[in-house]
Amino acid sequence: MIDIQLIEECRGGNFNNFRKLVVLTSPLAYSVAFRMLGDEDRAKDVVQETMVTIWQKLKKIKTAEVYKTWIYRIVINKCYDEMRRRKRNPEFVTDDQTWGLISNKISEDPSEDLENKETAKIIRVLTEKLSAKQKAVFVLSDLEGMSNDEISEITGIAKTAVKANLYHARKSISEKVKIYI
Amino acid sequence: MIPENEKYDKVLNLLRKSTPQLDSSTEIEREVIRRIQKQNRLEVNLSGAFDFLFGWIYIGWVRRSLIAASIVLVLIFTYQQGVILKRIDSLSKQTIVTGKESALTPSSEIEKLLTNYINSGRVFPSKTITITESQMKELLESVNELQIKYKDLENIIEADPELKKLIENKLLEKNKTKINL
Repeated sequence: MIDIQLIEECRGGNFNNFRKLVVLTSPLAYSVAFRMLGDEDRAKDVVQETMVTIWQKLKKIKTAEVYKTWIYRIVINKCYDEMRRRKRNPEFVTDDQTWGLISNKISEDPSEDLENKETAKIIRVLTEKLSAKQKAVFVLSDLEGMSNDEISEITGIAKTAVKANLYHARKSISEKVKIYI
Repeated sequence: MIPENEKYDKVLNLLRKSTPQLDSSTEIEREVIRRIQKQNRLEVNLSGAFDFLFGWIYIGWVRRSLIAASIVLVLIFTYQQGVILKRIDSLSKQTIVTGKESALTPSSEIEKLLTNYINSGRVFPSKTITITESQMKELLESVNELQIKYKDLENIIEADPELKKLIENKLLEKNKTKINL
């Protein structure tokens, strides 16, 4: 949980407190970026860019209460940029090994967590056919556990469009699961 | 055999549970701080260069001197404009003769014609003169009028042989020249 007092102090230009804010905010930003991009290094780059943008524009947000929504919005937009860049140099990630890995993991002990690299592979395989918006809506809703209202506020997509994108994303992923597992 | 929906839910649970771990948060913090400080240094350098180049404009007496100089320049400009306009106005009233300009400003058309005649016949050997269209028209009209009067006079003399003879004698006596009418 990020302290509102800390955000207010950072808004006042306190650089030392901003270091604390970076430490507290980075995991949140990293989680979304990683799940959106399915790549550790790119997610870290996005987190760095996000934190620099936060420092530059922190004074512009109206209240500290909207901070969390605001950082998610920045992360999502940075991810869109990164995906656009990646679109020019696409990587084909679908492979039988990954599907085998998913199959094994869901059959094994469900309490066992995945490593980052494994998670990245699974996310890439499952979401490679989704559009950027569908990916964002899926990650925020099904992986980050946000409501449709929150997603609409973060992404700037209308609530009905959020629902439609989520429906298509789920459909696409469940079809893949059905075929390969 | 796992049902399809259950498979999908298991995959999702697996992904939800496996929250991406940011193992290098201090590295990200360091990198973010480095980037922000680099930007700040760049801004400071730019503002320093700007101050060095244009800082002198903030010195009080320099500012006042510049204001005074600009006022003086505006006044000189206005005065010069006045002089030029006055000169143009006086030139437009003058009769321009090739080679020299006359400062006379004749009040009537006859005076103008006389002036032109004097100028072209006596003062200026080039015998060229610049006159207006209306002046030329007036000159032609007066020539026509003179020709008509001359014709009438000729008819009168022709009609009266005694008068003709008398005039011829008078002219012979006076000028010792013969005039054939």
